[in-house]
Amino acid sequence: MSVVYSLKNVVKSRLVDKAGFRLQVPSIEIKQQENIALVGHSGCGKSTLLDILALALHPDSQDEFLLTPKDQESQDVGFLWKKKKQNKLSKIRKQHIGYVLQQGGLLPYLTVRENIELPRRLMNLPQDDSTRSLARVMGIHRQLDKLPGLLSAGERQRVAFTRALSHRPSILLADEPTASLDPITARKIMAVVMELVKGLNITMITASHDWAHVYKMDLRVLKQEAEVVEDGHVYQSTFTD
Amino acid sequence: MSQFKNILTLSFRDYSHEWRMSGCFVLALASVLAPMMILFGLKFGIVSSMVNELVENPSNREIKAIGSGSYSEDWLNRFAERKEVAFLIPKTRALAATIQLKSKSAGRIFSTELLATAQGDPLLKTVATTPRGYHSVILSEEIANKLNVKKGDVIDGSLARQFRGKRERVHIDLKVLDIAPSHTVSRKVAFVSLDLLLATESFKDGRAVSQLGWQGQQQSQQQREYPSFRLYARSIYEVKGLVAALDKEGVNVKANLEQINTVQSIDQNLTIIFWIIACVGAVGFSFSLGASLWANVDRKHKELSILRLVGFQGGKIILFPVLQSMYTAILGWLLAVLIYLMAEQSINQILAPNLRIDRVICYLLPEHFFWALGLTLSVAAGAAILGGVRASRIEPSDGLREI
Repeated sequence: MSVVYSLKNVVKSRLVDKAGFRLQVPSIEIKQQENIALVGHSGCGKSTLLDILALALHPDSQDEFLLTPKDQESQDVGFLWKKKKQNKLSKIRKQHIGYVLQQGGLLPYLTVRENIELPRRLMNLPQDDSTRSLARVMGIHRQLDKLPGLLSAGERQRVAFTRALSHRPSILLADEPTASLDPITARKIMAVVMELVKGLNITMITASHDWAHVYKMDLRVLKQEAEVVEDGHVYQSTFTD
Repeated sequence: MSQFKNILTLSFRDYSHEWRMSGCFVLALASVLAPMMILFGLKFGIVSSMVNELVENPSNREIKAIGSGSYSEDWLNRFAERKEVAFLIPKTRALAATIQLKSKSAGRIFSTELLATAQGDPLLKTVATTPRGYHSVILSEEIANKLNVKKGDVIDGSLARQFRGKRERVHIDLKVLDIAPSHTVSRKVAFVSLDLLLATESFKDGRAVSQLGWQGQQQSQQQREYPSFRLYARSIYEVKGLVAALDKEGVNVKANLEQINTVQSIDQNLTIIFWIIACVGAVGFSFSLGASLWANVDRKHKELSILRLVGFQGGKIILFPVLQSMYTAILGWLLAVLIYLMAEQSINQILAPNLRIDRVICYLLPEHFFWALGLTLSVAAGAAILGGVRASRIEPSDGLREI
């Protein structure tokens, strides 16, 4: 299987007066159709790493940051960031990545259907039946004409997954997608998602603080270690394969 | 292009979804813009028109020759061509320029001053017609009331003279073309064509007027000389120069220079005061609108981040708050215009009768409304672009965790 993400010595710091947080990624390789879990307690940098993988956050430095979407040529993301090629990054993100946020991140002024179809519209994809069938699989086909404000938290997360998958990306990133749900609902949703991801040959990377949950789902877990360095001023978190 | 269309739709959907918030922005804008428009309406209505009225009042623009002189037709024509001159017409000797008027509806005969008039006479600005030929007249309100006549009536004018030892009187029918209101002419005056005025002078001087069948000595062919003239400057600002020019030609004149100076300084001072108020108002308006729109961009931060995340480009994201500001600007302007028009109606209806002026106190020209729209749109766009540029610079990840 080909490598989708290849990161070497990627660093991102959030420092104020030389104190704060630093994320380090000495080396990660994620292959196509792998299902990866970033596990760790809150504040360990899972979201930061996901944002970096989503091309939504600018790393401070990297020796290598390559993204190779399915059947596409490699993109040197590090170079694009360095050259401030924001539009190119937007384009890659738009075409190849679906991102599910902890709170859904749905636009409150669009109906569920419009939220789901937004990525498709941006890519000028046809507004065909795929939205409806995907919504049916996710169990939200009866909510399509409602505004997100009328949905339960579980339904919102289902919509968020549906939106993230609507334009058929090859990479799905999810940041604590079930953290605000009860365990039963969470398990149901993740079961459906896992099935979809396998069926669509998608590479999924999900962040979670729930160990038990992750092991049940048979995901590859990236190792995470944390230490306090620089006289206790900097909390440093390291993710490795 | 399709991204632009998407942004247009999305920004409008968001704007109408948050109609309460949008309504507040619109109200806030209108509540700043409407009073400014009313202030401008008042400035324009009261100050401009009243000062204009003072400025344009014919008596302030009149330049009178002192005593009686001798002015040739050539000289008068030449002087009338100066661009500072609004109106110039000869006068005959005062004694010759009277006529006895009689109407069927009044018992008495009234001796009335005759003034020659022509197109563009400042004293007859409110009157649409001009007397021509020998049988038409415009009466001042005072003499018209005494004669108890109205527009369209025919009255009898008569002239008397001592000629070759005999007392003679001739009569002439005069049609009343119109009545000049008392605020422009406040004495007994009959305005006639220059031809008729000259005919009355000829008659009184014992000369024949063949056009009217009046007997007398034959008219001499030499050029006519006039003892005086009626002269008006185009505006009060030209009076001083004209007085100097006439002085130079040896013509002794007087004009209302003191009053002119007063009016001019009132005009200038009021204009300065209103410009100060207007500038302060405009700056305040810009700041308040700018601040609320800037705040709106901040408030939208997280939703803009989501749009960035699903793939909108940074440059296009600026359009989102800018378009929403445009909606606010246009709706706020519409509301302000509505409020202004209602205020204008009430002000004019309530105040105008008290102030006894025959024109409206508060009004704006159509272009003023468009200036207001232009100002609003540019301030709105400026504020939103400043905020929007900031929004476009943030990384997509910045606002994600808040939503």
